[in-house]
Amino acid sequence: MTSVIHYRIQVLTAGFIVLLFFSLLLFCFRFLCEISLLEIMPFDARSIVIQPSGLLPPELEDDPNVIHPSFVAADLYRHPMMHLGSLDYFTSRSPEGRRSNVYSIESEDKYMYLDTKTGQIIYQGFETQTMPDRRVQFKRIQYYVGPEGISELPNQTLGRFDDPIVEQSKSRRYKKHERIVYHKKKQRFLRIDFDRATVTEGPDIGKKHPDYNPIQIGFLSKHFFARNIGWRPPRIKDIDATINEPDLLADQRPLKPIIPSFDHSDAGPYLLVLDESGRIDLLDKQTLDVVGTAGYLPGPETYFGTMPSVTPKDLLSYTVHPLVLNKFCRDDGTIFNMSFGDPYDPERLQNNFRIERDYLGSYATGISRSGTAMVLAVYNAEGKRINAKYTRLSQPERHYKSYLQSSKATFWSRAWAPVLTIGKFLAENLHPPVLSIASYFTASTFEAGAGHRALFLLPNSFVAMISRDYRENWAERYATALWWILPSIILAIWLAWRVGKDATFIGFSPKARRRWIAGTFAFGLPAYITYKLTRPKGTLVTCVNCGKLRRPDMEKCHQCNNPWHIPERTPPSWRVLDDDKTEGNQVIQQSRGGLPEDQETRKDEPDRL
Amino acid sequence: MFTLIKREIQDHFLYLIGSVVLTAILIVALTTFAFHQDTRIDWDDLIAPIIPIAILIMLGFCAMGVSQMYADRNRRISAFVSTLPVTRTHILFARIATGIITILILLIPLIVTTAILIRWFEPPIPMYAGIIFDISLTAFLMMLACYCIGLLTGWNPSKVIPTFGALVLTCILVPLVIIKGFGWEIAMILSVFIAALLIRTWQTFTSASL
Repeated sequence: MTSVIHYRIQVLTAGFIVLLFFSLLLFCFRFLCEISLLEIMPFDARSIVIQPSGLLPPELEDDPNVIHPSFVAADLYRHPMMHLGSLDYFTSRSPEGRRSNVYSIESEDKYMYLDTKTGQIIYQGFETQTMPDRRVQFKRIQYYVGPEGISELPNQTLGRFDDPIVEQSKSRRYKKHERIVYHKKKQRFLRIDFDRATVTEGPDIGKKHPDYNPIQIGFLSKHFFARNIGWRPPRIKDIDATINEPDLLADQRPLKPIIPSFDHSDAGPYLLVLDESGRIDLLDKQTLDVVGTAGYLPGPETYFGTMPSVTPKDLLSYTVHPLVLNKFCRDDGTIFNMSFGDPYDPERLQNNFRIERDYLGSYATGISRSGTAMVLAVYNAEGKRINAKYTRLSQPERHYKSYLQSSKATFWSRAWAPVLTIGKFLAENLHPPVLSIASYFTASTFEAGAGHRALFLLPNSFVAMISRDYRENWAERYATALWWILPSIILAIWLAWRVGKDATFIGFSPKARRRWIAGTFAFGLPAYITYKLTRPKGTLVTCVNCGKLRRPDMEKCHQCNNPWHIPERTPPSWRVLDDDKTEGNQVIQQSRGGLPEDQETRKDEPDRL
Repeated sequence: MFTLIKREIQDHFLYLIGSVVLTAILIVALTTFAFHQDTRIDWDDLIAPIIPIAILIMLGFCAMGVSQMYADRNRRISAFVSTLPVTRTHILFARIATGIITILILLIPLIVTTAILIRWFEPPIPMYAGIIFDISLTAFLMMLACYCIGLLTGWNPSKVIPTFGALVLTCILVPLVIIKGFGWEIAMILSVFIAALLIRTWQTFTSASL
């Protein structure tokens, strides 16, 4: 019994060791194939342009002076290494990272972070003070902020935040002294004003939207290194440059934007809020209430279909940029200047002028889990999608152009791409079939970035892509998935047959044999290697009954059930003794038991001994 | 048991000295790095030189495991010691304890130095909260895993498996840190892996003939 348990433990431990090493080797091979595929991905299949953008009012876009209409452009970058665990660990935990409690840090004296012990946000900064002699002095301030209020000293009555969602601001030009925070327990947005030292509570969002679960506020972005995105305003001829250089030809004359444009991270009177469901809401900064929808995270085209709606965890990377038109007005209401994007320094300007900020809409990108497809979508001010384009490779035919979806272009269109794709496919098929099937059923549960560092379950495998993206009914989808792992199943069946045959030969019991066959069918090559490493290594002997090889440590021959005649190793009943009387001669003394049969003949031949 | 551990330490004193020397070098390197850094750590500058050193350390611990078992197998040390009132389980336990002591000699001064440097140079906010624990735990488990690979592959009469087998397996295992990063996930995988390796080693070692 003990040896059986020992053998089981031996198999389980060896099995895990083999599975880990096997998975690591396969991961390295798949990763090499994937980064090589991304490296040779056609440039045309990586960029999208939407022109005209559709975000501007017609009086600006259709201005007769406009030479080039406005456009939104996005490029897909290659950074597969950034999704590996070690790099992701450091980037996400660095200050301002998605897992960091430090929300901002500009210097050693100016920062904002969540103190996990007290559950309060600690802000340290400087406020300017104008002295009687008009000198400006900076005074260091520190605030402790809780959902119930703000204080200059630590105070338990301020309450505590549990995993608050804090507004992210990426604008370098526009540093505000207020932050908007979502308090999950209260289901309310709070505005923390550091200048006035107040915390303002908004209405209960949970009443209107019971399942409301925001995950990001302000600048909505994930893995920004995976793409480049930008919006350009309509451009007109630069008259000043034309006057200065009159010899320039018409097509050489420089252009300038119809209205200057800056960074686009602030939505003017609103704040963009991303819900867990992928919906992007507009939060009124004054009332702290959700006043509308700005759009939805767009789903890219994938190898097996289009994702109509996606959640943040389904995308490897996304960005949402709002577009705002700033009107700089005098006190009498006349507009003297306009700009797009974040205003240069609103606080300074607002002392003399008034800024009206009109929200025009937003544009967003979404990148597929594999990083081979991207979508660029434009939403108007009402949150309606007005345009969307997908990464595609244009292929000139005789009289027309055809377009190939970028994932397909990546996998098949370039030289060596089919070799790498088949290599990836074969590596996936060497993976244990049971884990491939588990990958099919758990395909959507993993965060997209985590799929790039998965060892055992493979959310980025072809079979998982089918599970997520294939638009047919479940039976057809399942049958297609099985078709894609058919080589794996065939290999597992063949290995299971070999193991079964060897287990019969080696003399395993029918129960153990069945277990080994089932295990090899489920785990494929790792199980086969484990079997080879742990199978009994005793020497087989020929059975006297059937003539086949049998194990000597078993009572019966496992081939013919013939009992094992173990030769008795009884000591001989005779002894050789020295005779004192007859020196030099030896005498055999017979004991009471007599000699064994095979030595009977020697009784009469003492001299032979 | 303490006699056995003492004896193991005496037999593999070179590895302990190596640990101390390496710790000293790394402490100097870390301190120099900290003095040249700003508030925020530039991870590229830190990680780039650490990767080859980390591989060297892992191979070193693997070599230690191999040398312990290979020397025993060929000199039949445990067979001799078993004639005294100790079992092979005791001998293996003493051996593993020596390995863990060597790992801790390397790791603990480094952890303490890093904690002091972070406290010294970091602004008064928890910029890298939990990072020291995660990295230290992963480093400890990875070193122990490599050491256990050495123990398992070292129990072999030939020279090929203990040298090349251990080398290849260590080189396959070390990228696990790059793939999985640091934290509970890799800690779980490595813990199960170490348990599996130790059970295999214990079974092989205790069932070996005298």
